[in-house]
Amino acid sequence: MRQSHTAIIERNISWQGVFETEPYEVAWASEAIFFVRTLEVSGNVEGTMARVQISPDGIRWCDEGTVMPLSGEIDGVTFGKVSHFGTFLRLVGKIPDGVTLTVIVALSLKE
Amino acid sequence: MTDVMNAKLSRFNPLSRIVCFDDFDHGLHGWTGLIGNYEKSLNAMLPEYRDLRPPMLSNGTMWDTGSAGSWDGTYAMKLATRPKAGGLAVAVKRQTWRFAGPIRLETYVTFKPEATEMELSELDVRAFGFLWDLQNAQDRVMPHLRYLNALNGERVSRWQLKKERETLADIGSSGKTMSHFHLAGTGWEDLPGESQIMCYNEIATKQNWHYMCVDFDLASMAFTGFQFNDRVFDVSQIAPMVMPAMANLWCMLNMVVFVETDCDKRAFLSVDSVLVSGEWD
Repeated sequence: MRQSHTAIIERNISWQGVFETEPYEVAWASEAIFFVRTLEVSGNVEGTMARVQISPDGIRWCDEGTVMPLSGEIDGVTFGKVSHFGTFLRLVGKIPDGVTLTVIVALSLKE
Repeated sequence: MTDVMNAKLSRFNPLSRIVCFDDFDHGLHGWTGLIGNYEKSLNAMLPEYRDLRPPMLSNGTMWDTGSAGSWDGTYAMKLATRPKAGGLAVAVKRQTWRFAGPIRLETYVTFKPEATEMELSELDVRAFGFLWDLQNAQDRVMPHLRYLNALNGERVSRWQLKKERETLADIGSSGKTMSHFHLAGTGWEDLPGESQIMCYNEIATKQNWHYMCVDFDLASMAFTGFQFNDRVFDVSQIAPMVMPAMANLWCMLNMVVFVETDCDKRAFLSVDSVLVSGEWD
């Protein structure tokens, strides 16, 4: 049976401006899905995208290429799927000026 | 028992019954993030509980030497704080007990700050620790132990216990939910005996594993032993945190490990394996 694990890497956090999730180690996994669920929103996030980043050491980061939208609806869920990502993953982006997006972020991993 | 299992277990000294043997080369084995109690909304949670960082599986990758692996394999359970002084990462495993007798937790651990600077950084991790969270018919008992490495940039290097309770707060409006932030930095006392210097090693990317053993008696609800590497501490005079029994926690046997950073840099605690054993017929 394949190993799997879902990590809640952000919970009830309010993003304003630039955001970065904490580094999460995923060396054992071969596939991952970032899920972002909107808990509260103030302002318009339409067109705002989050980017998946990878890293050789958990300290220095580069874009992996996957981007995902963020939802402006309460309980709206969006996702980004990645594979072949090495040891570390995180999600980054920029919320438009004057907008606050409160989210819960799940990282679903599978061997 | 196979030779492989002998090799895995011979570095432990378990009591007669194995309650669980969590080798993190094979997953997180029920260890998960700790969350505070809430009703209706996550906003109802005590603020200190809102952002405790969860565990992950780590192969110990360093920027300069690559992956170090774990004590006897590739993966360890790793806790990482946010890079903010006072930040905590906490993992919990939730079980119940069936016999009120001796229990023992043995584990191999190592702690380190994130190697973001080419400096020794030996005072950047504030503390790491372990607690049981237990309940019998009378009491909820929470024996806390932590190694206070440094505080506000000053070396401490002492083992501490915490028996002082934190304020119990009502959560929500049902009258059924309460919460107390028992991991607060207040109320810790030094364990009797000398300080203990760890094998921190000589740069921020070298980490050495340490052995820890915590003995507790579920019958008397008292510490019966504590060992860290070569040091055996006298626990005969120390007491756990005790409060009246709470609803819905009968026979609880929870285990918690945690790490706290002393500066605006991530602190890591890695746990290679955990073996919990007990004594019953």
